[in-house]
Amino acid sequence: MSPFWSAWIMFLVVLNLGITLFLFIWGQRVKIPVQPDGTSGHVWAHGVLREGVRTLPLWWVVLSASMFVVGFAYLALYPGFGAYKGMLGWTAHGELAQDVAANRARLDPLLQRFAGQPVERLAGDADATRMGGRLFVDNCAACHGRDGHGNRLLGAPNLVDADWLYGGDGAAILASIQDGRHGTMPPFGGTFDAATIENVANYVLSLSGADHSPTKAAAGKATFAVCSACHGATGTGNTALGAPNLTDAIWLYGGDLATIEKTIRDGRGGTMPAWRTRLDDTEARLIAAWVHARSHDTTTR
Amino acid sequence: MAGGYRYFEAVEKHAGLLGVLIAIMVSIGGLAEITPLFMAAHTVQPADGVKPYDALRLAGKDVYVREGCYLCHSQMVRALRAETERYGHFSVAGESVYDRPFQWGSKRTGPDLARVGGKYTDEWQRLHLRDPRSVVPESNMPAYPWLSQAMLDPADIEARMRTLRMLGDPYTDADIAGAQAAVSGHTEMEALIAYLQGLGINNAAKTADTAAAATGGSAP
Repeated sequence: MSPFWSAWIMFLVVLNLGITLFLFIWGQRVKIPVQPDGTSGHVWAHGVLREGVRTLPLWWVVLSASMFVVGFAYLALYPGFGAYKGMLGWTAHGELAQDVAANRARLDPLLQRFAGQPVERLAGDADATRMGGRLFVDNCAACHGRDGHGNRLLGAPNLVDADWLYGGDGAAILASIQDGRHGTMPPFGGTFDAATIENVANYVLSLSGADHSPTKAAAGKATFAVCSACHGATGTGNTALGAPNLTDAIWLYGGDLATIEKTIRDGRGGTMPAWRTRLDDTEARLIAAWVHARSHDTTTR
Repeated sequence: MAGGYRYFEAVEKHAGLLGVLIAIMVSIGGLAEITPLFMAAHTVQPADGVKPYDALRLAGKDVYVREGCYLCHSQMVRALRAETERYGHFSVAGESVYDRPFQWGSKRTGPDLARVGGKYTDEWQRLHLRDPRSVVPESNMPAYPWLSQAMLDPADIEARMRTLRMLGDPYTDADIAGAQAAVSGHTEMEALIAYLQGLGINNAAKTADTAAAATGGSAP
């Protein structure tokens, strides 16, 4: 705040308080002429209403005086009088820092025993998974759902099954959370004609034993060589690339013929955002622990 | 003090004089609270990393304002622990210098969006705008499916940028010359997502120092 504006505010505060204080003191001492009938002689409504003369009640005077005291005390203690910072040195940012520090003081002893621990160990700690579950709902549920079952519209994987795109050990889960993932299935609509795509899709269905046309699948088997670069010769996928396993009955975008054809034709791109800047290391570990625990607990799948 | 009564009488009997005196006393408050901040608003410097919106994001911002997103979403993280834990560092004035109108507020039917950029993927934003329930089952946000069909009109984007330059936003001639090409062929949905994905991404980490400088210290 520049010295000019500080002086400007100080001047106005003094002016305002000066006027009100003067009126408060002077107004009580002014003599009001009293007419013989006990009124001030003011009449309204053609004489129907006349103004009586009374002294101010004591409670009103005391209350008003105490408001002045509160006002002066506020200006002395808190910022308000121009650039003067107040005797308490209060700031909104300082109060926030205090709140944060007080909360950290309560939280840090709890988090200390989780810091830097392997995800697998945390997954066996009920406190850790309870905190991780809360953090998951706050941060991850928008894509993966409150219970971690994923979202096929988005291609957000189910996290509580035993199927993993990038690996299901603690380190891999933690890396997915902190650094994000970019899964890319290239589009083959320009490479293959519709009949070829249908044949390959039937072959893909055959890998997991789903309903398919055996003749079309047989015709698509040779073309699958192109797909095997990422999905592997037998279609079991590749966690280094995030290429899904096609031989299980678990589907990221859907396992019906039309959806698989669309996936092959138009490609897919799935992004897991990196959370390193939004979650600290221990928070990320707690979430990873909850995911690890849930995905290894056959009763919650 | 005997003569003092005639002044009270004069004020009491002349409503016009009473009105003028009331106006003077009330305006003292406004002069002290509004005028300094109003004048200081012209001197706020952009926070580190805060740049004028590029053409596509500017078009997205206009969609955001047109659809009334501000009625439910603020873009101002307040200096309260509950807010900084959920949304990140509190907002500072230098982050909003290119927002006309600014998007501050505390009316939140939905969450604050000041630092939403990069929190979700583009695809999530697209699904969520088309049908919020498809990704957040309990959401009460309206769907905006028409944004996917509506194409941006490149005709007036240059004029908008020139107007903002007149108001002081540092757009270069090259920025303005490339504006039509940058928005043509894009949908309003793409522009809005580009805008949302840019919110807070360049300034989030550095704001602590800026805030400390702006308030003269004691920021965390």
